[in-house]
Amino acid sequence: MLRSLLTVSALELRTRVRDRTALIIAIIVPVAMATLFGVALGGDDPPLRATIGMVDLDGGEFPAGVRREVLASTELEGVLTLRDLPGREQAQSALDAGDIGAAIIFPAGFSDSVGAGEGGQVGVLTSADTPLAGVVANAVVDRISSLVRARTLAVRASLDAGVPAAEVKEFVERNGAAGPALTLENDPMAGGRVDLSVYYGAGMAALFAFFVVGASFRGLLIERKQGTLDRMRAGPIHGWVPIAGKAVVGFVLAMVSVCVTWASSVLIFGSTWGDPVAVFTLLLAHVLAATAITMLVASRARTDAQADGVIMVISFVAAFFGGSLVPLYTLPDLLQQIALFTPNAWTTTGLTGLAGSGAGLASVALPIGVLCAIAAAAFGLAATGFRKGLLG
Amino acid sequence: MTNALTCANLSKSYGGVAAVRDVGFTIAPGEAYGLLGPNGAGKTTTISMLVGLLKPDAGTVVVGGADLSADPMAAKAKIGYVPQEIALYPDLTGRENLRFFCRLFGLPRREVRGRVAEVLDMVGLADRADAKLDTYSGGMKRRINIGAALLHRPELLILDEPTVGVDPQSRKSILDGLERLVADGMALLYTSHYMEEVERICHRVAIIDHGSIVAEGTRHELVELVGGADRIELTLDGDVETALAKLRGLGGVTEAVRTAAGSIRLIAEGGRYLLPSVISTVDGIAAVTAVEVVEPDLEATFLHLTGSTLRD
Repeated sequence: MLRSLLTVSALELRTRVRDRTALIIAIIVPVAMATLFGVALGGDDPPLRATIGMVDLDGGEFPAGVRREVLASTELEGVLTLRDLPGREQAQSALDAGDIGAAIIFPAGFSDSVGAGEGGQVGVLTSADTPLAGVVANAVVDRISSLVRARTLAVRASLDAGVPAAEVKEFVERNGAAGPALTLENDPMAGGRVDLSVYYGAGMAALFAFFVVGASFRGLLIERKQGTLDRMRAGPIHGWVPIAGKAVVGFVLAMVSVCVTWASSVLIFGSTWGDPVAVFTLLLAHVLAATAITMLVASRARTDAQADGVIMVISFVAAFFGGSLVPLYTLPDLLQQIALFTPNAWTTTGLTGLAGSGAGLASVALPIGVLCAIAAAAFGLAATGFRKGLLG
Repeated sequence: MTNALTCANLSKSYGGVAAVRDVGFTIAPGEAYGLLGPNGAGKTTTISMLVGLLKPDAGTVVVGGADLSADPMAAKAKIGYVPQEIALYPDLTGRENLRFFCRLFGLPRREVRGRVAEVLDMVGLADRADAKLDTYSGGMKRRINIGAALLHRPELLILDEPTVGVDPQSRKSILDGLERLVADGMALLYTSHYMEEVERICHRVAIIDHGSIVAEGTRHELVELVGGADRIELTLDGDVETALAKLRGLGGVTEAVRTAAGSIRLIAEGGRYLLPSVISTVDGIAAVTAVEVVEPDLEATFLHLTGSTLRD
């Protein structure tokens, strides 16, 4: 049984090596993907870098405090660069010219207004060309708004309690810089600072795993068409040998493919994917699920062309809903719920969590468990399909 | 002696439609058995059940004493299956193809090289062994397609139309090779659209139609089913109707029909000896421009039993 299995696998691998598909899908494409995303989205650089214009028409303590806090923030270190601009028009011009990604405008009298308990409004200029800078600027302004609301409330309470206004103003100014450090509340990446090249590299690896194993099962259906599958099955071997032989090669090539993507990202661009054992186990579980799903398609397909089409559709649907093509957080809530049915979502979420923290295998136990459950369910359905069809 | 194949009461239905009903026959070691039937008669379904590709709804298959359902590995090890299509890998060489199936079927590693060489010699392809299969001619592909089924020295060789699309020279080579295998004691189950092939190599023949075996026996026994009458095909130039009326009254003629504008078919016992009388009967009425005497054969039997020719 084992010898027959290895014979089928060896032939499949030899065929894939001879027609160069193994080389292309296991080495060239993963390296190309990692390079593409590394060059386009980061590598050593932090993923979110924004130059934000600051227009201080107030000249008071509050804008100065915000500037100090932004520059002192460890969370924003290397992410945010502030550029002073004299007025709104200049800020708009700089934004249009692409010199800045967004601008924050403190109106004249802002600090006095806050100190008097009357609140205040901070303006924000954003551009559709630089959405990430807009996200950062809005996050900063959201934080400022929280502080303003808190201080306005405190000033009003003090004034209502009979504290002289001059004393309250002095108190506010004295403590203006002592507020909590600004943090990005709308961090677009769950888990904190995640290299986008890792995020999309992982997403592409997750997507490509489907194509790699799909090619092997397509080969199975081609063998059915050319009669070699029946010739094998008519021989003294177990009926599952040809299927398992193909599956083993598809699984191994897909593992090589995702691991080469990972290794390229780490070795060429110095990206951090997190704990190697956890990353490998998660990728293993993903490839297992992808193998089972494509096997299920092959078990129900009538022709190799039909299997090809269905695998393509499933791969892209799973990639889209699973965050391999667009970040999960940009999807509406309903679609984020649907994403939970795709292996890609669990893989992407797990890898993102690992990359954004120093967590280990235990932190991705849930995604791995879900991926294994998806694999088990798909393998079960595939077995039924093969028994009724190919092995019937 | 244990039969090379015993199948009994084989039945298979698809969606309530019976493809094979109650089919059963035996093949002795060294016997060549032909399975004839028009397209859709159930030949391929029967063969698929015999080689274990399809599970029968009912019935048993025993190959060389091994029950196919109870011990499929032992039974399949005794079968060599030659499918109708060239079921080999076109981008591998002939030798690589044979080596693959040797290993797949579990031949000991030390025997593989020798067996491959032996089979290549057997099918006359030793000199082209290292060429890729897609460079082979149609006849060469057919020969190696058969060779791949002989690697594990099966007791029973099942061939599904093994000579489709080959030139006469390759066909002769294939049939000569099969006759040698039978002479060496291998049992054969053979299906073909070419009646003359079946007549040449098969000891017994079964005719299958609408999923059931409608006749079985030696060539002689089957021909006897439709009687021993010869068929005389006449082509005349003249008064064909009058000639036809005269011929119907000729002693020995059991049937006379007009088949085309100037053609008449006669069925007559010992027709070849009746030929001088036939010609003198029409003398002065019409001129005989062509005459053919056809002795009773499997084709006639097949036509009689199934109502169609084999190539329909």
